[in-house]
Amino acid sequence: MEKKQRKQSPQRPAFLKVLQKSGLSFLAMAPLLLGVIGLVGLFQVLVTPKMLTSLFQGNSLLDTLIGTMSGAIAAGNPIVSYLIGGELLEQGISLYAVSAFILSWVTLGFIQLPAEVEVFGGRFTLYRNILSFVFTMLIAVLTTLSLQGLS
Amino acid sequence: MKKQDKPFAFRGKYLLLTVLILYGVIFLVSSQSVQLALLKSGTILVKILPIFGVVILFTSLLNFFIRPKQIAKHLGQDSGTKGWLWALAAGVISHGPMYAWYSLLEDLRSHGMKDELIVVFFASRAIKIPLLPMMIGYFGLTFTILLSFYILLGALLQGLCMQLLQTKKM
Repeated sequence: MEKKQRKQSPQRPAFLKVLQKSGLSFLAMAPLLLGVIGLVGLFQVLVTPKMLTSLFQGNSLLDTLIGTMSGAIAAGNPIVSYLIGGELLEQGISLYAVSAFILSWVTLGFIQLPAEVEVFGGRFTLYRNILSFVFTMLIAVLTTLSLQGLS
Repeated sequence: MKKQDKPFAFRGKYLLLTVLILYGVIFLVSSQSVQLALLKSGTILVKILPIFGVVILFTSLLNFFIRPKQIAKHLGQDSGTKGWLWALAAGVISHGPMYAWYSLLEDLRSHGMKDELIVVFFASRAIKIPLLPMMIGYFGLTFTILLSFYILLGALLQGLCMQLLQTKKM
């Protein structure tokens, strides 16, 4: 029994201590998170849905690229991306572009890049964002092609 | 070797300072925009505060019940297919903005979580379960199913690409 006690007790700290440690490490990140949230608020005011909609040209290939870029620049709740996406479809913008737009809205974020670099490092952030950018366009094209194939 | 605790230090001070300067500059041009931006930022903060609470609690629970060795076993180098599926599922289930999860992922990474699994987690977050009905309403059921399928497939492929890039680096 003594052996068992010795085995268990020394490694596991009290839960409150662990909670305090997690809270402190989160608190250390507060300026980083507040900075990102501040930027998101600013972008929501300065980059309006109307401005985003006006970027699209009507060329499927170019619009897919524009969709990915504008989705990455935009910030806010994904619901807004659906609203703008629906509006874009009504205006005759291709589904390739709209799919890329709503996807990059949630997977890419220029605003949070400084925070991502700070937490995960420059190399990881660069690789992840390049992969995400390429795959966003690939997924948008594949989804639309599959949809066209099915209908 | 026992891992030493890092001393407490605020991170992102310069980012916050830059943002404050930006607000100051924009205030000179349009004070109304700044007021609105502050209001929006405040609303976002209030909305994601509960998520921050969940992340802190989740990190604590993980650190309390699961030892670094176990994390490394499930999400580290030898985690195998299970690790990939865990990362995929966690990404789909996770709620709120991406940056809310940075602290937890950083913690898991320091305990051995592979970078490719972090990539899988971030990529699979594109599926937002609570918003699926709305997506179906706007773009149709077939589109939603296809997009979700390709997101999951794409997430795994992005993880594999990251793995290849990491191997190349070594």
